[in-house]
Amino acid sequence: MHLFSAMASLKVTLVGMLLLAVGSMLTYGGDTGFSVWVLILPMLLLAVNLASAIATNRKINRQPGLLLFHLSLLSLVIVIAVGRLAHLDAQVEIVVGQSFDPSHLVELQQGPWHVGDLNEISFLQGPYGISYEPGVQRGATASQIGLLDEKGQFSEEIIVGDDTPLIFGDYRLYTSFNKGYSVILEWLPNEGGSYTGSVNMPSFPLNDYRQKNEWTPPGSDTTIKFWLKLENEYNKDDYWTLSMANSSGVLVVTVDDMRVELEEGESLQFDDGQLKYNELTMWMGYTIFYDPTLRWLFFISTFGVLGLGWHLWSRADRLLGKNFDNETKRGVN
Amino acid sequence: MALAAELPWLWGSLLALALATGAAIWGMIPRYSGDGVLIEPPSTNRIESLVLWSLLLSIVLMTIAMGVRWDRVGNGPFVSLFELLMSQIWSLSIFYAVIYWRAPSLRGTSVIVFPALWVLGSWVLILDPVASFYPTTYYNNWKWAHVIFGKIFLGAALFGVGLAGIVLLRQTRFASVFSRMPSSEVLDHIAWRFMMLALIFDSLMLIAGAVWAQDAWGRYWQWDELETSSFLNWLYLGAIIHLRMTYRIPLPIGAWLVIGVFVFAFLTYFGAPYFSASAHKGVV
Ligand code: HEM
Repeated sequence: MHLFSAMASLKVTLVGMLLLAVGSMLTYGGDTGFSVWVLILPMLLLAVNLASAIATNRKINRQPGLLLFHLSLLSLVIVIAVGRLAHLDAQVEIVVGQSFDPSHLVELQQGPWHVGDLNEISFLQGPYGISYEPGVQRGATASQIGLLDEKGQFSEEIIVGDDTPLIFGDYRLYTSFNKGYSVILEWLPNEGGSYTGSVNMPSFPLNDYRQKNEWTPPGSDTTIKFWLKLENEYNKDDYWTLSMANSSGVLVVTVDDMRVELEEGESLQFDDGQLKYNELTMWMGYTIFYDPTLRWLFFISTFGVLGLGWHLWSRADRLLGKNFDNETKRGVN
Repeated sequence: MALAAELPWLWGSLLALALATGAAIWGMIPRYSGDGVLIEPPSTNRIESLVLWSLLLSIVLMTIAMGVRWDRVGNGPFVSLFELLMSQIWSLSIFYAVIYWRAPSLRGTSVIVFPALWVLGSWVLILDPVASFYPTTYYNNWKWAHVIFGKIFLGAALFGVGLAGIVLLRQTRFASVFSRMPSSEVLDHIAWRFMMLALIFDSLMLIAGAVWAQDAWGRYWQWDELETSSFLNWLYLGAIIHLRMTYRIPLPIGAWLVIGVFVFAFLTYFGAPYFSASAHKGVV
């Protein structure tokens, strides 16, 4: 009991707040190498402190507005923790004309309690356009998305981009600054069969001058180097739109000291097969975000502030009403 | 270089604010009769209406300046420091004008509040009014809630500075200037009520900001420079409210703590964006 009332002390609150302030200064700027514990430990201390105070301190548990506010603070800490344990963050690149494939996620980070099913996400990437302002300032992104029904058939088209995410349950996909060109290639081995694949070039226009990548066709031991020689007529000092309609280019293929330029539809014979450059297209990069607590966070914090407002209002007579007039009458000194 | 169309209106607005400032100070200067007895200046009411009307004029002119600029550059006052400061002077003036109008006994705070506004006013004068790039994420409607809550928060914090300033000036030889105002205990009490109000709107600003950040950048909170600083500002506000409940703190110390809220907020809004080209500006 003694410990309990000690833990409820408002002095502990002040110490906890100070520690939390120090902790958040240490994590200033996001990636500082300090462990998240510099935030978690002060928050734990404050949570225990607050829970004890709510249980024992009448000043807090007899004033409904104040109680609502502090309960909301306590729940926020808990819900944020749950959110972190259940979260998923990842990046994905999707080629225009292809559908989302969960096995293509990169930079995947997820909490141990992540229970979501990535198969909830199913859509077809359509063409997109991104407008740029002079000086390569990125403007609006409009990415066409084909939604699919249960049978995987196209059902509806929507447009996402910037602050309009693509939402599937608790998964939210945001268009990222990462996007660029992609070439669709077909590999026809001498022994028969055919493989079609896409090779994504580095992010554009960020890597405008490095549109290079390489690929080893299935079953082959030749690594083929590609350079996409773009022939776009973008004037970067003016307004322009990044889209397929404004793009063209030849594919420069290099193996050892052989260098050949391919136009769309052209092929190149190798010892073990034939490479066909089918088409120039684009890929779009998305950031995937999963946190089932988002709605809760919003409601809890809003209720908390309402509680604080209620608390202030219930004492408003001191601020605006009769007492205020009496207290502040001219000449009172 | 051609003159930006909003500048004459801005100058006019600041001129009117200068008039309000001058009149406010003039109205507070104590006048003594020959035998050293303080006499109530007979013109107080007239001077106070002059202050109020010049403040209103300043607000009207600033509204026009902002409208003209909006029309010229095509976006609202949300991005460049120049337009942010203009917009902040505008809303702080409105917040304070309401208090000045409604609470005659607290009008003496104007001799602190107006000079504080001048810090923003002189800063805006040395900035370049060029249009800046408007990031697409700024078309989000949560921006409005975020900005409006922030303005009310800052308004309450600035009024706290006015009250606290008087408590502090009463420790100096200017004490007699404020003899017609309520006691320092009363001013302190009101200041802390406004700190509660500030906490409410600071919290709302953070909530709206987090929703916007989730929409715009796919995360509601990432401890970037601006976010960390505004969280610390919020925590500071909560901490000093608790400090004041837990200990009997002397009035002048309480006054400095209250002033700290505004200073902290000022450094957050107008300082943090300088230290980083962080994602918070949305230009990636
Ligand atoms: C985490 C541990 C916390 C504990 C144990 C705690 C406890 C308390 C208690 C017991 C009171 C009532 C005191 C009284 O009326 O004398 C109170 C009031 C208050 N607390 Fe907290 N609190 C905590 C955190 C916070 C935080 C983080 C904030 C805001 C940032 C906050 C803001 C307030 C406010 C605004 C009041 C009302 C002050 C007034 O009525 O003038 N509290 N708290």
